[in-house]
Amino acid sequence: MRKEMCVLTRVYHFSAAHRLHSEKYSDDENYRVFGKCNNPRGHGHDYYIEVKVTGDINPETGMVVNLSEMDEMMRDIVEELDHTRLDVEIPFFREFQPSGENIVKYIWLRLEPKMRTARLYCLKLWETPDNYFEYFEEEEQAT
Amino acid sequence: MSYQTLLTKRVDFAASHRYWNPNWSEEKNKSVFGKCTSPHGHGHNYILEVTLEGEVDPDTGMIINFYDLKPILSDVLKDFDHKYLNEDNLAFQDLIPTTENMARVLWDSLEGKLRRTPDCRLHRIRLYETPDLYVDYWRER
Repeated sequence: MRKEMCVLTRVYHFSAAHRLHSEKYSDDENYRVFGKCNNPRGHGHDYYIEVKVTGDINPETGMVVNLSEMDEMMRDIVEELDHTRLDVEIPFFREFQPSGENIVKYIWLRLEPKMRTARLYCLKLWETPDNYFEYFEEEEQAT
Repeated sequence: MSYQTLLTKRVDFAASHRYWNPNWSEEKNKSVFGKCTSPHGHGHNYILEVTLEGEVDPDTGMIINFYDLKPILSDVLKDFDHKYLNEDNLAFQDLIPTTENMARVLWDSLEGKLRRTPDCRLHRIRLYETPDLYVDYWRER
């Protein structure tokens, strides 16, 4: 059999508020760059994070990864972010803009070290049904 | 610069399955598979996306005619749709019908049937077990 690739995707949800704002900019510049997203009281989204993992299909279980282990790995990440104001409550986003690009990277940095048997292939973060952000190692092809 | 054209057809089917490794004790099966070991099976509305690559025929403008593709998909899915996979589908006699294994079996079956349609190859398949859980499967050329 030619080398097979099996990428399993599980979707998780969290709801969070944020404000895009930079101390380096004046109020006018902030509004010009970030527009409505600069509202000082914040605004929020229902985020959906697609976690894509790959590896050999274990012949004993028929699985790339055990879903209960995966849920366990994601549990504290989702709990940390869910129902928070990211740029106020999460230290990483006090330093870095709570943009989709940085949120998806943050989840990668938290999740990747926990991976044991399977390998993290790609993260896809939906900010709205119309916007999503992907983060993966460069040699992979997006799915 | 070279380009690639892909075509994807989406189909759905309903099936039941049970996760059970006969070499393990009941306790071990339950600890690994949880509710999925329920003895009489449980079911899902699966969605299969079949993505094909190939040359676009200059006369038809198509990689494959959907009229030719549909009977192939129906044929592949006849052992899946409204079946209890563990017992009604021979491929799962000794193989646990996880989403990953189902994707592998579907790939083999599709690839075999697509041999009759030259200039058209399987690129990737995606199998949704639920909207929150799916598998992408492909093989290197």
